[in-house]
Amino acid sequence: MTMTQTALSPAMTAAGHTVEVRPNPANEAAKLARARRKRKDAIAYHTAGVAIVLFFLAPFAIAFLASFRSGAEGMTPPLPPWPTTGFSLDSYRSLDTFGAGVWQHTLNSLIVSLATVVLTVAISLLAGYGFSRYRFPLKNTLFVLIIATLMIPFQSILTPLFIILAKLGLNNSLFGLVSVYVTLQLPFSVFMMRNAFDAVPKEIEEAARIDGARDLKLLVRVLLPLVLPGAATVAIFAFLNAWNEFLAALVLLSSNENYTMPVLMMAVRAGRLGAINWGAVQAGVVVMTIPCLIIFLLLQRYYMRGLMAGAVK
Amino acid sequence: MSLAPETGSPAWAGGAAAAPLGDDGAATGGVRLSGVRKSFGHLDIIHGIDLSIPEGAFTVFVGPSGCGKSTLLRMIAGLEEVSDGLIAIKGRDVTDLDPSDRGIAMVFQSYALYPHMSVRDNLAFGLKMANTPKAEIDRRVTAASAILKTDHLLDRRPGQLSGGQRQRVAIGRAIVRKPDVFLFDEPLSNLDAELRVSMRIEIARLHRELGNTMIYVTHDQTEAMTLADMIVVLREGRIEQVGSPREIYEDPANSFVAGFIGSPRMNLLKARRTGRDSLTLADATLGAPFPTASGKSGADVTFGIRPEHLTVGQTAVDGRSLTASVDFSEYLGGTQYLYCQLADGQTVTVEYRSPVAVRPGERIVLSWSMETIRLFDDAGLRLRQGM
Repeated sequence: MTMTQTALSPAMTAAGHTVEVRPNPANEAAKLARARRKRKDAIAYHTAGVAIVLFFLAPFAIAFLASFRSGAEGMTPPLPPWPTTGFSLDSYRSLDTFGAGVWQHTLNSLIVSLATVVLTVAISLLAGYGFSRYRFPLKNTLFVLIIATLMIPFQSILTPLFIILAKLGLNNSLFGLVSVYVTLQLPFSVFMMRNAFDAVPKEIEEAARIDGARDLKLLVRVLLPLVLPGAATVAIFAFLNAWNEFLAALVLLSSNENYTMPVLMMAVRAGRLGAINWGAVQAGVVVMTIPCLIIFLLLQRYYMRGLMAGAVK
Repeated sequence: MSLAPETGSPAWAGGAAAAPLGDDGAATGGVRLSGVRKSFGHLDIIHGIDLSIPEGAFTVFVGPSGCGKSTLLRMIAGLEEVSDGLIAIKGRDVTDLDPSDRGIAMVFQSYALYPHMSVRDNLAFGLKMANTPKAEIDRRVTAASAILKTDHLLDRRPGQLSGGQRQRVAIGRAIVRKPDVFLFDEPLSNLDAELRVSMRIEIARLHRELGNTMIYVTHDQTEAMTLADMIVVLREGRIEQVGSPREIYEDPANSFVAGFIGSPRMNLLKARRTGRDSLTLADATLGAPFPTASGKSGADVTFGIRPEHLTVGQTAVDGRSLTASVDFSEYLGGTQYLYCQLADGQTVTVEYRSPVAVRPGERIVLSWSMETIRLFDDAGLRLRQGM
């Protein structure tokens, strides 16, 4: 063993020596070629990326810029989309003349959307926990039934819904609308939350039980932080769906001051006496986009994790 | 296992539902299981376990997988409902108490740390739930992390720790609760071999320092042998034997315990009794280690001998040697394991310590001294002198 090592070591030092002192010209050329190729790849990659980003940003940018054109300019063909005769808030002012004023309708939409989010998250959190952790008769049947309601087209139950709400006296009320939205949102949310709870190891819950956390305390202090990505996903979906929903709001709400933003937008889009105020339409689009962007940007970190959860492992 | 009756009223550890047990329950300070059963529907997992664990003892539940050892531990912890029977901790009936009211702490195989909390909050969580004053929490957390040398990790999250560090934190979380009984559910099986040894020593040290009752579940018999004051060998929801490691190893109650404890396992060879003090094994006639009174001639027995008790030689000794051919051998440095075959095809493992190599295919003579033989009847029960 010792003999082999002594025999080997001079050869090894010699080899190390060669590489260090005399750079191999072929090797150098290959290195350069590799660097050049890498730079070319990077340029192509980033150019493509920028192009795609522009593609996605353009509608937002056009609507945003166009909403600041002055009243007269708003009626002209939309090219170029940015204000050419100076910055003006005319479009927003005229948007405010529709319905009960833009503030009132934004507030309606916010109330409906946030209430939908809160109720959906609260109910699906509890239901998901129950479906994930408790054993009870017909558990799987019930779960499949809940999921199966996703297959029923919403339009087909609009009439019965209208009648039920009328009987309950919840016609033309924001609360009635919220309860419809929450109901529609629940199947997906319960499914999502059950998966989130399934991904939490049972031992963590058992350790918490030994530590003395029970029931609601256990859920809030230990489990909620662990299913937060799932809850964020549910919240985003609930918010966006409630914020953008049009048909139910149009059918179930009947008085002007209760309309949500999508219903107001229809009125704006329909115009007055055949004339459509395109500036007001653009302003309305901007007003409707902002809350969605804010919610998404706030929660997207959790949202991404929520969609990935359970993909690996 | 002190049987001295306690004088005066014992200091029950509180808890409204606690009902002191009568008779001998109050005498043991540790954990007492009486007639404990667990069944899922019609399937019985635990078949009526009676066990008394003395206070301060390090008890190891050991057995093959599926023997119910973890279930039994979880029943003591209160994580699994008891179908029948009683569990008492420090003389207090805890059968129907919530896990947090039983005076236990548990260390899980998967550590089960709260991933969203810092190490400090992980340690403090149980105390916070019990509304312990903040100063007391700080004191206990500091003390526990000093014992486990995790002081520098207190502000990290579990995700930033290595496996060994996580296990320390998990043990620390148990320590701060100051439980009457520590429960360990295979705590070392997620660690690599080297870390396992050092954590094993750490747990032994902890037991010496704290002196609490500890119940430890493992399927690793090295852990069982090295840590335990008392080993409980389980099979299919029944206790096979209870005793100190030495008792279990040297005086197994049946062939299952004999074969399960010890590595490499004891050789259990089929033999037939031919007379009061003789038996045949693989065509050889051997002297029985002791004359058996009740022994019927022609009865099947199991002839048990540990690999280290077999001596390799060349010359047969009358009545206590067998010839075997070596199938293959494992060289482990200090020793060599020889896997041999007897004339009738039964395999025998031999621990061989001589530096002279034995090659596969060689024929060797195995001999032994009579007191190392363990005999078992055809039902697997140990045959003893005078039976």
